Amino acid sequence: MTTPAEKKTDASSQPYFYHLESSTLPGLDKRAERFLAAFEAILRDSNYRFLVELYAKTSAKCGRCASSCQVFQVTNDPHDVPCYRTNLLLDVYKQYFSDDRNWLGWAAPKDTLSNEKIDEMAEFFYRCNACRRCTLDCPLGIDHGLIAHLGRYVLSEAGIAPKGLVVSVREQLEGATGNTSAIPLPALMDNIEFLEEELKDTTGKEVKFPVDQEGAEYIFFPAVSDYLMEADTLMGNAAALHAAGVSWTIGSKYFDGINYGLFYNDWVLERIIEKLVEEAHRLKAQKILIGECGHAARSARQFVPVFAGERALPVVSILELTAQAAQEGKLRLKKDVITERVTYHDPCNIARSGWIIEQQRQLLRSFISDFVEMTPHGRENYCCGGGGGLVSLDETFDFRMQVSGKTKAEQIRASGAQIVASPCANCKKQLRELADYHKLPVQIVGVHDLVLRAIDLS
Amino acid sequence: MPTWLMLAKGPAFLFVATLVVLALLRLVVLTVWDMAAAIRRAGDRRLPMRQIVMQTFYWLFPFNRLHRNRAAYSFASFGLHVGILVVSFFLRNHLDILKDNIGIAWFSISKPVLDVLTLISIVGVSLLLLFRLYVPASRRLSRTADYVLLLLILNIFLSGYIAGRPWNPIPYNGLMLFHTLNGMALLLVTPFTKISHCVLFPLIRLSTEIAWHFVPQAGSKAVQALHGPEGRKI
Repeated sequence: MTTPAEKKTDASSQPYFYHLESSTLPGLDKRAERFLAAFEAILRDSNYRFLVELYAKTSAKCGRCASSCQVFQVTNDPHDVPCYRTNLLLDVYKQYFSDDRNWLGWAAPKDTLSNEKIDEMAEFFYRCNACRRCTLDCPLGIDHGLIAHLGRYVLSEAGIAPKGLVVSVREQLEGATGNTSAIPLPALMDNIEFLEEELKDTTGKEVKFPVDQEGAEYIFFPAVSDYLMEADTLMGNAAALHAAGVSWTIGSKYFDGINYGLFYNDWVLERIIEKLVEEAHRLKAQKILIGECGHAARSARQFVPVFAGERALPVVSILELTAQAAQEGKLRLKKDVITERVTYHDPCNIARSGWIIEQQRQLLRSFISDFVEMTPHGRENYCCGGGGGLVSLDETFDFRMQVSGKTKAEQIRASGAQIVASPCANCKKQLRELADYHKLPVQIVGVHDLVLRAIDLS
Repeated sequence: MPTWLMLAKGPAFLFVATLVVLALLRLVVLTVWDMAAAIRRAGDRRLPMRQIVMQTFYWLFPFNRLHRNRAAYSFASFGLHVGILVVSFFLRNHLDILKDNIGIAWFSISKPVLDVLTLISIVGVSLLLLFRLYVPASRRLSRTADYVLLLLILNIFLSGYIAGRPWNPIPYNGLMLFHTLNGMALLLVTPFTKISHCVLFPLIRLSTEIAWHFVPQAGSKAVQALHGPEGRKI
């Protein structure tokens, strides 16, 4: 079943239609049955059931979450209230799965799985940036981001998932290249050679991108798209690692940090984590190092311990490592190189939990004289508007520009910055598109792009 | 006091209160049981307990959060909650009912203070009703039960407040019966509606954290359940 993408003229009010993948489940016309079968199968062995039961019992539907959702702030559409979206799934649960349905069934919602309801879920679970900003404002502590994740997961197992995500993951897990950007190994090696030459020209030093070095302290997984689109970020990564004096390597069997499973499917999430861990063990690395990518860092940090058990390795973000090296005086950063006004965009996946907020700011302030903050920032930052995998879905362009990214564009304009640094491949893509669309006079770069400009390896 | 009012404040109250306490206890026990089972299944059992406890307490007393988003709604809601908790559990008349039925009571708070809190609660619950009725996003979210619960609470506070006024135009005993029946109705629905957050609130944030600790192989099992042992291609 493939629904054609429809171009929207007014992104705030009209529904979106995603390319939907054909299901391998029988009975394509029986969407409700497929949805229920998928929901039941997922609830059976996972840890979702008790939480959904708890949320279904306690959700007060106060709507306080609406005021913190940047999508609702723009559209004012009640359907965009996180709690409304959450209750679409909770209602299905109450009607078909709740512990109390046998004796309180008369009070449960009815007709929660019509074709229209399924379309509504498919649309609104993917209008959510999965930024989890709303969780900061729910008095009860309901995590609408987790329910959006579960909703997407159920939809995907019912055969409804955005083609943009599915195609990338298919190549990563079942394709010949084994990565989301479909980069063959020879192309990667050429790219690395090019980066090393560029680094020599830039820094005057031989800085290597080690491949398949056994026993290194770190095995490095950037967002693989960085090899195609973010040469400066990667060179900054390598320069910082060189200056820090740590041993590191890239694995030739698997070198992609991206994990779109976090956005829509736990089965996929786990398989990708397994690939990371397997490659790390193949090369006898001690730690997993994730490049500049918010969701890659979070998915590895949060789910390597969950899925790898005793084989789990510590997960470190390159931001933590570089900031630490700078603090220890291992990085010499020239203070007079960057004269532009710089601001920093927090990727939700590393900031919302409070994991990486101050480290990189200290790093940037140490060599940038005109560093300004957006308001709000840090844990309460606004998403770039492309979170939750939306940036990978071309069909959502108008929505991302006019609705979900509008607040971020206004924040950037208000900051007066000439450079926006953000350590996330997805954020950078979205922010660049936003800058073009809203005619913002800014350059969008990674944190290590700036490190590269300022680093002194002499 | 008429017999029916004595009945309502006596055996009927005792029956309802016992039922509700047992039902709420069942809810807590089942939820804690499920949480324990979930954490046993989880691949990673470490929990940031300090952070979770801090967040839970933070939202018990969210003073520095109320003004930030939907200030009017948040203050109305907070006022309502304070009123319900303090007036319900520290009004002399309520404590007398407890003492008569189960022989337990504690200190009461002076009536003028509780009168003020009652008025705050009446304003709070009225505002919440108005928000649900007239704010489009709130109206879209609201179900019949949301209105019924607010009306029950409003009935209780209004009847209780009016009954204690010298200018009360309504026969006292009738008003008290109305007050008591509404109170018992609210108690009865508590374990089966969102008001169950009165006992489940401390468990929600911890449960959320536990649920993020996924179960290894749960995804594969779901795929196999749907597609057979061979699984499926992406």
